[in-house]
Amino acid sequence: MKISLNHIRYYRNQYDWSDDPAPSGIDALVEKIGAQLGAVEEVEDLGQKYRDIIVAKVVNCVDHPDSDHMHVCKIDDGGKAQDAERDENGLVQVVCGAPNVREGLLVAWLPPGSTVPESVGKDPFVLGARELRGVMSNGMLASAKELALGDNHDGILEIDEASAKPGDDFAATYQLDDYIIDIENKMFAHRPDCFGMMGVAREIAGIQGQAFKSPEWYRTDVLIETPSAPSLKLTVRNELPELVPRFVAVAVADVTIKPSPLWLQINLLRLGVRPINNVVDQTNYYMLLTGQPLHAYDYDKVRTLDSGDGATLVVRNPKPGEKIGLLNGKEIEPRAEAIMIATETKSIGVGGVMGGAETEVDEHTKNIILECATFDMYSIRRTAMAHGLFTDAVTRFNKGQSPLQNLAVTDRIIHDILESAGGKVASELIDINQVQGREWVHLPVPVTIAFINERLGFNLSADEMKTLLENVEFSVAVDSDTLTVTAPFWRTDIETREDVVEEVGRLYGFDKLPLELPKRSIKPAEKDSLFELKSQVRAALAKAGANEVLTYSFVHGDLLRKTGQDPDEAFQIGNALSPDLQYYRLSLTPSLLDKVHMNIKAGYDEFALFEIGKTHGKSQTDEEGLPKEFERLAFVFAANSKQAAKAAGAPYYVARTYLVQLLELFGIWERCTLIPLKDADLGTQPFFLQVVKPFDPERAAAIYDGQRILGVVGEYTASTRRALKLPAHSAGFEFGLNLILQNPSDGSGYAALPRFPKVTQDITVKVPASVSFQSLFDLLQTELAKTQPEQVLASLDPIDIYQREGDVTHKQLTFRLTIASYEKTMTDAEATKVLDAMATAAQKQCGAERI
Amino acid sequence: MVMTYQNPKVQGAAGLLKGRFADLANKADILKAVELKALYAEIPQLPDDQRGVFGKELNMLRAELQQLVNEAGEQAEVLPAIDVTAPFDVNVPADKRPSFLPSQHGSKHPLMTELERVLDIFYRMGFNAIESPEIDDDYHMFGALNFPEGHPARDDYDTFMTTQTDKNGKPLIAPAHTSTMQNRVLRKYAGNLEKGEPIACLIPGRVFRNEDLDARHEHTFYQLEGVYVGKGVHAGMLVATLKTFLQEYYGKELDVATQPFYFPFTEPSFEFSLSCPFCDKKGCNVCSYAGWIELLGCGMIHPNVLREAGMDPEVYTGFAWGCGLDRLVLMKNNIEDIRHFESGKLDFLRQFS
Repeated sequence: MKISLNHIRYYRNQYDWSDDPAPSGIDALVEKIGAQLGAVEEVEDLGQKYRDIIVAKVVNCVDHPDSDHMHVCKIDDGGKAQDAERDENGLVQVVCGAPNVREGLLVAWLPPGSTVPESVGKDPFVLGARELRGVMSNGMLASAKELALGDNHDGILEIDEASAKPGDDFAATYQLDDYIIDIENKMFAHRPDCFGMMGVAREIAGIQGQAFKSPEWYRTDVLIETPSAPSLKLTVRNELPELVPRFVAVAVADVTIKPSPLWLQINLLRLGVRPINNVVDQTNYYMLLTGQPLHAYDYDKVRTLDSGDGATLVVRNPKPGEKIGLLNGKEIEPRAEAIMIATETKSIGVGGVMGGAETEVDEHTKNIILECATFDMYSIRRTAMAHGLFTDAVTRFNKGQSPLQNLAVTDRIIHDILESAGGKVASELIDINQVQGREWVHLPVPVTIAFINERLGFNLSADEMKTLLENVEFSVAVDSDTLTVTAPFWRTDIETREDVVEEVGRLYGFDKLPLELPKRSIKPAEKDSLFELKSQVRAALAKAGANEVLTYSFVHGDLLRKTGQDPDEAFQIGNALSPDLQYYRLSLTPSLLDKVHMNIKAGYDEFALFEIGKTHGKSQTDEEGLPKEFERLAFVFAANSKQAAKAAGAPYYVARTYLVQLLELFGIWERCTLIPLKDADLGTQPFFLQVVKPFDPERAAAIYDGQRILGVVGEYTASTRRALKLPAHSAGFEFGLNLILQNPSDGSGYAALPRFPKVTQDITVKVPASVSFQSLFDLLQTELAKTQPEQVLASLDPIDIYQREGDVTHKQLTFRLTIASYEKTMTDAEATKVLDAMATAAQKQCGAERI
Repeated sequence: MVMTYQNPKVQGAAGLLKGRFADLANKADILKAVELKALYAEIPQLPDDQRGVFGKELNMLRAELQQLVNEAGEQAEVLPAIDVTAPFDVNVPADKRPSFLPSQHGSKHPLMTELERVLDIFYRMGFNAIESPEIDDDYHMFGALNFPEGHPARDDYDTFMTTQTDKNGKPLIAPAHTSTMQNRVLRKYAGNLEKGEPIACLIPGRVFRNEDLDARHEHTFYQLEGVYVGKGVHAGMLVATLKTFLQEYYGKELDVATQPFYFPFTEPSFEFSLSCPFCDKKGCNVCSYAGWIELLGCGMIHPNVLREAGMDPEVYTGFAWGCGLDRLVLMKNNIEDIRHFESGKLDFLRQFS
């Protein structure tokens, strides 16, 4: 929202120009606006741009002796320019090529040393005195374009201000000694009044502790004078009273359409609005001033669309398949619920959004219809969104403009149109009004001063609060400690006591809030166990050389398919701008694997990545009925062929090593087993079935904690590897972190240290290759527990797994028994006895042969 | 499928190349065989009427060889079963068994490192923590937060929506703010208030905005929501709490300032700024030479939000804020492109080893 400081100044105190809104300078004002009204995005110093320009009169104008279009002019600048070269009459010579330059014309003269306003902020062009085809020219006479006042470069700007005289400051003449302050729109999302200059002027006065008074014409409903015998017949029918609470229209006959006076054009331009003509400019000006969008139609164009003798405006929804060509040159088929303005036969505008091209006011227009209506903010918003039409009118209507200002605004604008375009009011004033009394404004709010002070930490009196509110035209009744606050009609946002709290706090100044920390007890804050667990995992894996990554929660359907997952199980994003974000991910592994190839290519021979994140699947919901969230940890280890050649054994075992380290950290490895994925009962949960899809059933294992499957560890399927260009030497795991929390460790696993020396002995057994390590190890452990002497601490560790060349049907496993007693020194014979028993059991149960 | 070829030269080459294929170590090399190239080179020399037929047969041979290469590849990729229960592989000497990668290469993600720091400070300030979900419903995203249906303020959140719907028939939503947890946190800890203790909770979470990516904009980022509710809580406490946190976080005295703002779920609402901790208001590229950094949105929790969570706004008041985590990390490390965070690039990640 751009505001002009001069507009603020004009409306601030009943047009009292001497009341400066920035008495302590612009910086102080901008700071105050930021602290008490809303963030200022930009401040533009217009005055700086126009400071050297002087109003001058062309006294003499002759053709240039050496040019077919240039003129040599003598201008009177009232002797203002200090260093200009003058003739004996005190006139300055300027060469000008504009076709419209002529004697008697008042022009904007840029004296030598001044900068062309158009070039300010780009590539500043400073004028001098120089010869043009042999004739000296001092500075230049400027066109509107060169003055950065529109696009017109057909000729020089003609100053039309009656009171202007040579030597006047051009900036002062058009109040261009101004600042344009751009305040963030978001600030005013609930403030329709602040989308008008007058509303902002009121607020600025309010935060400066000054009473603002809206002009008389705005505060009262004035009915314009209408002819007793209308010369133009105008009918309005509102078929959408719910969506259009007020529709005011009136016809004006015999207008003369021409460019607006310069001051009005400049007033629009400084706020970024392009001047069109003397009627459209007035509608835009009043919108900028009051926040009330207006629209003007060419009466005769409207009338001739129907066969009747007058013009009819119908407020209705579009007819099926109906299209409309808009003022922006585009044609749309409006959404079925859009509010259309139509004649009896066809639509001529999208109400509150944009007018139609067919009934536009142009230079041939003789009669006009002026519309001042109020449209439902939600409907306007949806229509604007549906068609991408974000106009100044939409910005204002979708904040909820008050329908109580329509008559005042209509009266005032008609007054100004008659003044600038001539003509006369030619129809009755049509006011289709669904608004009953003050219903649009919320009821008076009773609130105690304690309620306000408690929420702000202030200690304001009732009178202080009353003054603050009355400064911005609230009416406030004080009854001991209670204020009854009635908002003015333009404040549609004041509904609750908290709204009044905000108002008082803001007007008084939030920068005065007392900074005071809440009191607290010494009770420790409760820690979240999931955050703690994640933090542990992160530290452990980073210490083990792995790198934590974060990848997107959404994936392309192709990534799911590449890893064997079924997109039908995943929640689908319906409106993503990017095709890479089609589905919520079913597991983290595909996203993680997607980051492997690029890092190999980037020159990393060997690395491990992990991610902690949430996954979702359609098949499970939580107690709120929302999709259940699964907290997961995924890990991948990868090495390129060069690095893999240095390693020995399958990559599976690297992933397994990392996994076991974590499970040991959680203190649950003792009770976990790894079950070959192809043999594991994964249950019927379709979602978990998706998690294991990227893993090779022959070279992966389900992680089982004795009660449930926590996750999966292993290498990836050939198709996954191929599709994601994974190196052959890659493996990883994924498991549920919330499952770890549900089954926490039951102890540290610490055993007291025996005082007596330990004995170690190895045992090697040869078993059929089909016997799994785990089954043999479990068997040996069981036997150890059975046969070990009392009061010992014994452990059995795998030392070697070996397969003889040429014998693929067997393998040999070597284990080391370490045993120590709490009571005495162990002998080798005692250890041997245990090993013998273990060998016998292994022989019996799985055909093991002791080597 | 074994093809037969009409042209004797092609038929001859087919026999020769298929014979050689069996012995090739790199099967794909068969496609680069000189014999094949030589035959292709003959095409331009042939009379016009023979050229087409010959070329077609040659292409068929090439396709057949390609097929053989593909099949061989897939067979080679399917690996034999391993004993997944063993701690290490067969015939691997002790010094080559799996070990961890060098510790100095490991890293935590910078966003997570920072999150842990922030959590730690708030723990010490008496806040507990709870994470926000990544999929939620319209009610928690908007309804519970005083955004009426169709309200323009909803436009400020470009939400991702699923094609699946919630129990009210509305699309599920990828939350655009961590405020989705406000209602849940207020309900969960309502007991605190009865015991005369405040609700003090920090809610970190991943949030989403459906917008195009560039160096400054991510569709995925992290937010830190704070909620504090109790008796006699006023707006000055909000400012003091945030100031205290930021001074602890940056380890120095800071100035703070508020600007009025509008959020449907707080009243009054503020935009909160701090004096630039990197230049102490002298001006630097982090603060764009403004000396101040606009950091977060905050405000006093709207009575409708309290009421929606079953609380009496007459008795209890509170404040809430939402701060971007990514921004803190970008500023702290002078990171030039926000997209690095979710890129998975080791070039980036290992700088945080």
